[in-house]
Amino acid sequence: MRKRSRRAFLAGVGATGVGGLAGCLGFELESSSLEPSLVENRPDAVYVPTHTEGMAMGEMGSDGGYSCALTYSYPHRFWTVTGSDTTQVEVGSDDALHLMPVVWHSETGVIPSDVSPRVDVTRDGESVVDGLNPWPMLAQQMGYHFGDNIELPEAGEYTVTVSVGAGGERRTGPLADTAAAEFEFTLDYQPSELRDLPFEDIAEARQGTLGAAEPMQMDMVPTMQAPTADDLPGTVRGTTESGDAQFVVTTLDDATRFGGKEGQQYVAVSPRTPYNRFPLPQMSLSATLSRDGETRFDGYLNEWLGPDLGIHYGAVVEGVAAGDEFTITVDSPPQISRHEGYETAFLGMPDTTLTL
Amino acid sequence: MSDSPGIDRRAFVKSAVAIGGAAALSACLDRGPSIDVPRGPEEPSATFPERQHAWNAALPTTDAGNNHHPRHRVLLALDYGDGTPTDAERETVEAALAGVERAYERSAAGLLLTISYSPYYFDRFDDDLPESVDLPEPTALSSFEDPDADAVDAIVHLASDHGEVVMGAEEALKGELGELNGVSQPEAALTDVFSLAERRTGFVGDGLPAENQDVDGVPDDDPVPEDAPLYMGFESAFDGNQPTEDRVTIQQGPFAGGTTQQLSTLTLNLTQWYEQDTRDQRVSKMFCPHHAQNDVVEGAGGNLGSDTRMDDCGDPMETARREGVVGHSQKMVDVREDDTPIILRRDFDSTDRDHAGLHFLSLQRTITDFVTTREAMNGDQIDSDSAVGQRTNNGILQYINTVRRGNFLVPPRSLRALPPADPRATAAENAEVANA
Ligand code: HEM
Repeated sequence: MRKRSRRAFLAGVGATGVGGLAGCLGFELESSSLEPSLVENRPDAVYVPTHTEGMAMGEMGSDGGYSCALTYSYPHRFWTVTGSDTTQVEVGSDDALHLMPVVWHSETGVIPSDVSPRVDVTRDGESVVDGLNPWPMLAQQMGYHFGDNIELPEAGEYTVTVSVGAGGERRTGPLADTAAAEFEFTLDYQPSELRDLPFEDIAEARQGTLGAAEPMQMDMVPTMQAPTADDLPGTVRGTTESGDAQFVVTTLDDATRFGGKEGQQYVAVSPRTPYNRFPLPQMSLSATLSRDGETRFDGYLNEWLGPDLGIHYGAVVEGVAAGDEFTITVDSPPQISRHEGYETAFLGMPDTTLTL
Repeated sequence: MSDSPGIDRRAFVKSAVAIGGAAALSACLDRGPSIDVPRGPEEPSATFPERQHAWNAALPTTDAGNNHHPRHRVLLALDYGDGTPTDAERETVEAALAGVERAYERSAAGLLLTISYSPYYFDRFDDDLPESVDLPEPTALSSFEDPDADAVDAIVHLASDHGEVVMGAEEALKGELGELNGVSQPEAALTDVFSLAERRTGFVGDGLPAENQDVDGVPDDDPVPEDAPLYMGFESAFDGNQPTEDRVTIQQGPFAGGTTQQLSTLTLNLTQWYEQDTRDQRVSKMFCPHHAQNDVVEGAGGNLGSDTRMDDCGDPMETARREGVVGHSQKMVDVREDDTPIILRRDFDSTDRDHAGLHFLSLQRTITDFVTTREAMNGDQIDSDSAVGQRTNNGILQYINTVRRGNFLVPPRSLRALPPADPRATAAENAEVANA
């Protein structure tokens, strides 16, 4: 039950625009109605959105093996996902900001996909937002994170508490050593400062074309990207695609960390977005491995977190040989909410086969 | 309380229960025609069942074949203080409880009540609770909750279709009324023995959540449907999905005829539920994706009759793998015995602390039965083996937070007044004293 509160160690970083975007147009964004209308004829793939946005970074803290940075931007539209259906969420008239608690494993920099942070906001001890569980989300500038639009009654200082559970079973190395964590931040909400955040329209000719806005670099926050194929451990067997997602497949000779026995091998699949290389958590994946027409493995690829592999999916197999056919089936596409430019991708995801 | 015109009597009554106190009660009674509730018997103990929790026989059955749930609730959370109870104190508690039972008939229109005791209460005795009672201290039941322990000694649960009745009973139990419903009340008051640590209130039933939706946790545009019995918009506790009272009753030992009560305080955050999910998503997450795809649930679900057709939902893991979402009730079907859940739900909504919440009150033979059910609701295996997240698309976990958990023993009626931890041992001691 409630432990003696271990308050997070707070490192004040101050509100700094970390958009790194040149040419802010000073766009006055007061409410949703000012969001540019969506691109017409969006492709069923990752596409260049109407605009890019800056982001403000509030305080940062560490606790329980995790670090957390409180970041925010102006409220914006996004899409929730259930199965292959998306629901567009419009900005509410009272939404003050889009709050994004970014949580990562301090030692490895991996963003855990098996915990769901909770957010409570108070002001002078009074509850303002109680028990909000922000959505897991994917955004072109930010990658995988948690976020939601929230209402705040007025400008001023708020206390934001972010709580995270200990973490799941499918973790290797130091990622397994985490405890439930709580972070307490002060958020100075100033609408005028929010309005000063960069907001840049993308040239109309580029909007809706295949491509993506550049990921932003955040000071003090590790990169959100999946390792490049070259940086993945093991024998990298190649890359295949489905629903515009890329699946890099690698095999490891030691499967013991993943519950395998001596002599077995581990097949790891690292799905990521094209262009920006963001990992894609919360899918149901399964696979078959066959040699000379004979099936040697048929089962789930379970989601794991590893220091070198990051967020990936894998299975323990008896053995892999060059020439084996490896077929990945997406039973459910990523059940994470999407920001503009991702809401039409990674939904219809047919089987895909790679010859190892 | 100001007698503002324009508030009709019904709206006034429900908020009066939340406010409570003698002033709210008398203001309430002064308005409009007084309610006509039959009185209880002269000697309640002679006629009332030994099982305090045997409410079903006293509840009307709805047209659909479900139990009607009393619409207004008060939970009095009580502290006993130090030391062990004396016989005089037991008599006081019994007299106070019997006083309100004489005032109102034992029915939904009248008054239903239970008194229950926590493990912290039983700690004070040298003896342990008998093995036939499974009553551990509450613990967190998921890796992502950090609830407070409900450390009070006792809980009195008052339920009635009339706000005036629960308020009147409460005031009488506190010794504030000489007469209740025309029946004179004993000198004895619960507050002679206990201190009132907290009063918790609530409601359940068509229309009440909509009338009470001007609270934190519910978005401002009044999204709760007019006919919904609970904030989340669906009917709950269908007869086909509730065990019998026999199934939840302790069968052996000195507390046979009693039951255990799990009481958790859940807060709701329904902004996402009503503003960011569609109805199909809500039906998928509350019942199962099959029910959303096939339009099985109409409105609040009244069309389901007394059975939510969980058999059609399919295996929860299979659904989670293929649909990326799993239903709240679907996840718990595996826990059923003889095709029936093993916890008896008597939960209700609340505006306590001006926040939309739910007092999840369930009865079960052992607290372990509750834990098993609650663990199924976490869906840990589903979360780790499918696209379903720790909370996201995992039933209704995204929208609820458990802020407090408590476990209580609802003793049989004959032991309801400050029971010892082991009545057998106590009886033996008394016999020794008598023989000495
Ligand atoms: C805000 C909180 C909750 C709401 C609104 C809610 C609502 C519902 C609804 C609408 C159903 C389907 C209809 C029915 O069978 O009654 C249901 C089923 C059920 N709920 Fe909940 N529930 C909540 C919390 C809980 C909690 C905390 C538990 C404890 C473990 C629980 C246990 C069950 C069980 C056992 C079933 C029946 C499963 C079966 O059909 O086998 N519920 N709930």
